Amino acid sequence: MIGFYTLFKREVARFMLDSLDTIAPPTVSVVLFLLIFGSALGPRLGTVDGVPYAQFVMPGLLFMSVVINAFLNPAYSLLQSRWDGNIFDPLSSPLSSMHISLAVVLAGMVRGLVVGLLVALSGWTLLRFQWVNPAATAFYLVLVALVFASLGSVVGLWTKGWEGVNTISVFIIDPLVMLGGVFYSLEMVEGVPPLDVLIRWNPLTTMVGGLRATMLETSGTSLAAGLIMTGGMAVLFLSASLLLFRYGYHLKA
Amino acid sequence: MTPALAFVDLHKTYRGGTRALRGMSLEVPKGSFFGLLGLNGAGKTTCINAVAGLVRPSSGRVEVHGFDAQKQYRQAHRLLGIAPQEIVLDGRFLNVRNILVYNAGYFGMPKRQADSRADELLQTFALWSKRHDRVQELSGGMKRRLNLAKALVHDPSVLILDEPTAGADVALRHQIWDELRRLNALGKTVLLTTHYLEEAERLCDEVAILHQGRVVRSGKLHTLIHTTRPDHVLIHTDPPLKAVPQGCSSSCHPTLIEGALRVEGALHDDFLLKLLASLPHQGTSVRSVSVQKATLEETFLDLVQHSEEER
Repeated sequence: MIGFYTLFKREVARFMLDSLDTIAPPTVSVVLFLLIFGSALGPRLGTVDGVPYAQFVMPGLLFMSVVINAFLNPAYSLLQSRWDGNIFDPLSSPLSSMHISLAVVLAGMVRGLVVGLLVALSGWTLLRFQWVNPAATAFYLVLVALVFASLGSVVGLWTKGWEGVNTISVFIIDPLVMLGGVFYSLEMVEGVPPLDVLIRWNPLTTMVGGLRATMLETSGTSLAAGLIMTGGMAVLFLSASLLLFRYGYHLKA
Repeated sequence: MTPALAFVDLHKTYRGGTRALRGMSLEVPKGSFFGLLGLNGAGKTTCINAVAGLVRPSSGRVEVHGFDAQKQYRQAHRLLGIAPQEIVLDGRFLNVRNILVYNAGYFGMPKRQADSRADELLQTFALWSKRHDRVQELSGGMKRRLNLAKALVHDPSVLILDEPTAGADVALRHQIWDELRRLNALGKTVLLTTHYLEEAERLCDEVAILHQGRVVRSGKLHTLIHTTRPDHVLIHTDPPLKAVPQGCSSSCHPTLIEGALRVEGALHDDFLLKLLASLPHQGTSVRSVSVQKATLEETFLDLVQHSEEER
């Protein structure tokens, strides 16, 4: 376990030592979003699903910050280690492929959750809403972080260059998150093509809905559906990450 | 006795079709200082990467102290310290000391022990004053020393060094040689690949010559040299010889080169002493005797050329 812990510590040190680049910017961005939607636009937008608009977007912004950070950390860390060649160190050590994979994924989860915690605290301080079940939110976010840290690990192994991570982030994750009910409810876009179709068939809509259900007294979202979707994706992506490490995809010739 | 390293009919064909290893078989005895020599592209680095688990053999296997390097890689890796040719140091955010401490951790060494081991190696390799620096601030020689220290941090039984002195100046080269000799004297097996054949000749007690993915010849360094290219003795006489003198056995392959007699053998060989004593009785006197010792470089080139001709 010492080897696993050391690699995990290395992966955490990687983003903590550079926290002005890794932790601060996403937190500041979300706080700005909340200020704009809460103070500037909020009063004009009224309520959505029975809660003020700023409160409605809060779970989505929290989800977005956890997703992006949990994804980027393993993706960039693995790519950078492959690029620099220092992936040689853990690979030539007695660490098993499973240990390496889990250490990388776990560190990604920690980054996502650290940013998530800061965003949650900032959001709650600004909006002061009635939090339905903070423990359920925490558990749910751990699962969300696991899904996207595992996906980041898969992408970090799969990609051949820096542009691969950006492509997945900009063209797949960002649109899915943005069109996944972060900024509007299903009801708001009913009959507005193609948004109504995109939001309905987007798996992240269910995931965001589940998180919203742990935080706000809203209608139209289901925690159970969110948990099933998130749990299923966690199993899928974590298995993919473990298998790719075991095979040594882009690690062994 | 189980060898430190065993390569058994190892084949590796890369995805692009390059055949790097074509049935390489070799045993590296425990405690030996072994040189793996070959031209560029001979398969040396592929062979090392197969031990490190970075290359999946197409067929055959590698064993480290009897552990299969693919199936039992965790046990195998625990015994190995590898210093790759390309200096790979995790220096983007770790300082010199932490590079060693983290690497010790990967091998399961507790933090306190890793700290003291790192400090010991920093002093051994004259890097103590640089312990808080970033890798980017180190000179090329310091990076090479750190690369070696990293391979040693978990006190491995088998040390694999891929071109450890490439680009090192004379002083650093001698310093690395002394350290490697000391480690070998402590009982560690050292497998060295190098382009500097003089380096292999100075350090290794056994060598293998790898050419186009196969071991062309291996064995004790001096036996290999003498069986491939024996020492020659050149005898100049006055007057110069016109024919091979009597008493010169054909087994010593006598030839005349511009009146000088060239024979295979060493000065202390009986037949040579008798030959030298007999020359005055054959109407000629010995003017000079010079010994031409074969070098590893000549032996290496002979074997590589011979292997090319056989293909």
